[in-house]
Amino acid sequence: MKKSESRFDVELRRRGVSRREFVAFCGVMASTLALPRSLEAKIAAALQKSEKPVLVWLEFQDCAGNTESFLRATKPTAAEVVLDTLSVDYHETIMAAAGHQAVEALERTVKDRKGEYIVIVEGSIPTGANGAYCTIGGRSALQIAREVCGGAAATIAVGTCAAYGGLPAASPNPTGALGVADAVPGLKNLINLPACPANAENITALVVYYLTFKSFPPLDQYKRPLFAYGKSIHDNCERRAHFDASQYVEAWGDEPHRTGYCLYKMGCKGPVTFQNCPQIRWNEGTNWPIGCGHPCIGCAEPDFWDKMTPFYQHLPNVPGFGRAASIDKVGLLATAGVAAVFATHGVISLIHRSTGPKGGETPPPPVEPVEKVGKGDRP
Amino acid sequence: MSTSIPDAVSTSGRHYPIDPHPAEHSDLVRVYVWEWPVRLTHWAIVLSIAVLAVTGITIGYPLLVVRGPAGENFLIGTFKIVHSYAAIVFTLSVLSRIAWMFLGNHFATWDKFIPVKSRRRRGLWRTLRFYLFQLRKPPGFIGHNPLAGLTYTLVFGLYLVMITTGFSLYSMSAGVSSPMRVFRFLVPLVGGLQTARFIHHGVMWLLIGFAVHHVYSAVLMSQVEANATMESIFSGYKFVHKDDVIYSGYRYIDPKDIHDQHL
Ligand code: HEM
Ligand code: SF4
Ligand code: SF4
Repeated sequence: MKKSESRFDVELRRRGVSRREFVAFCGVMASTLALPRSLEAKIAAALQKSEKPVLVWLEFQDCAGNTESFLRATKPTAAEVVLDTLSVDYHETIMAAAGHQAVEALERTVKDRKGEYIVIVEGSIPTGANGAYCTIGGRSALQIAREVCGGAAATIAVGTCAAYGGLPAASPNPTGALGVADAVPGLKNLINLPACPANAENITALVVYYLTFKSFPPLDQYKRPLFAYGKSIHDNCERRAHFDASQYVEAWGDEPHRTGYCLYKMGCKGPVTFQNCPQIRWNEGTNWPIGCGHPCIGCAEPDFWDKMTPFYQHLPNVPGFGRAASIDKVGLLATAGVAAVFATHGVISLIHRSTGPKGGETPPPPVEPVEKVGKGDRP
Repeated sequence: MSTSIPDAVSTSGRHYPIDPHPAEHSDLVRVYVWEWPVRLTHWAIVLSIAVLAVTGITIGYPLLVVRGPAGENFLIGTFKIVHSYAAIVFTLSVLSRIAWMFLGNHFATWDKFIPVKSRRRRGLWRTLRFYLFQLRKPPGFIGHNPLAGLTYTLVFGLYLVMITTGFSLYSMSAGVSSPMRVFRFLVPLVGGLQTARFIHHGVMWLLIGFAVHHVYSAVLMSQVEANATMESIFSGYKFVHKDDVIYSGYRYIDPKDIHDQHL
């Protein structure tokens, strides 16, 4: 073993990550990626001999939450080592270089490693006012994204803002913010990792998949990897048995809430939202929102701020009917209105018929001359 | 009472299979209007919508709270399954009826729904005037009157919206190997799943509103026409004045003409 120790192995040893921990990590990655355990060895081998792929991390209209998520680590882990195998040539938040130096580093990568580097985008791209709402080094986010993403081997949009516009794009979207797919259409190998923020586990798993297979995993219709977004929250939820049994939390802190019943009636969007939170959880597997009694708000869905609100209501309100106007209240009232209209019509119709001459027993001859009828002009 | 059914021939030369009314000296003739596929799909749609609405509202707002171990109860789970089976009945009925618009008899075809002929467009206006009490009698169309036909066009459109949003909702929980997964392509088309739910609820109320109107109109028409409209959706037959067979769609009486007409 010792004689052919790779750079990766040296790195693991230097940080005190044992072989056992590394293999366990590969197992976790295999299961996160929904791959058979038998591929664990392939993943381990691929990681050990992988070359450093070049990575560029662009931040536009964002809160750096995905960066935080990506960099979070409480102790040196195998994941950290994997992420360190990436050569991060440009990342505003963590790079030492600043100003012109930093911009030059980015330009160098785009020029010298064209078609080889991977770009991660965080934050939405404003298109209003000719892109003036977000400029870096005198160039608009849109210009930078076109050039940098256009020359990349692959683009990964992390977080809901980069994927779909997110918070900046929420109505009324003052800056004309768009996700990468809409702002720079036609990118090859675009992958969305939405969520607010994207789960570090999924970013890592995506990188591991790429390092292992030199390709990208299958995606859904929103360009999200199926391994992380293939099943709804609801279908993997640990409270699902309570849903099926009709056992619901009715108010915060009530008996069912304390027992851990289903949060459907508190506005849980789990049935219409997708991510692997129930399995991989958050903060290194500590817990996840529904696990600690809060409904899913659908943070990984397109237009989530506009469509998933009100967060604690089952359905959106009916626009133009004031606050808390549910479609079912409006519908019920409208139906009552229809019934009232026809009841009135019925009464008038009865009066009308009882006062007028009797009709019906003897239908009258046609009022219009029959000769007017053209051929084929029948009912 | 004859057993062989003679054909009445209208001025345009169209043949209607009719039967003299059994009552003697009657001007009424018996016309076979609704063939069995029309009646069958009609009632399948009525029943499935009733089941879908009840189960659907319960899924949206589960009122019953069950006590006891979760594993021993499956109440909303059952409602969801019933909703899915009723949805299959509903979808197949709607599609069959649409197919029958191209296969069925004179009264079932698509041009009874969309008023492409000028004569039906005229009838549209007259039927509306009847509803607004400006005419004493509706124009004597034997099958759907043009206004009803146009309303059903909208209703079939609403059915298709329910099916589209329903299948997109279904596709979300279809397993990776389920064929229902193909309907995921519908999800972006209906504006995402939360919007699909919203539309699914809103259109349900439009259909419930339509049901109220539909039952009322059927009762009303049955009374003013006195031609067994209500019975026809069970039996298929309507009893129609022989003039209506020949000059179908022409009978209508303006209240201001009443004194000139010998009624
Ligand atoms: C006229 C017919 C229909 C009516 C009135 C109806 C009504 C409803 C209602 C009120 C809901 C509750 C939605 C919610 O609050 O989440 C619902 C859910 C649903 N409907 Fe329908 N529906 C109809 C037809 C269909 C059809 C044709 C399908 C096709 C598969 C379908 C599939 C579904 C599904 C999958 C759900 C979601 C259940 C869940 O939350 O798991 N529905 N329906
Ligand atoms: S808590 Fe939410 S995701 Fe979990 S079963 Fe209930 S509705 Fe579904
Ligand atoms: S449970 Fe829902 S809202 Fe919470 S992180 Fe997961 S997808 Fe986002």
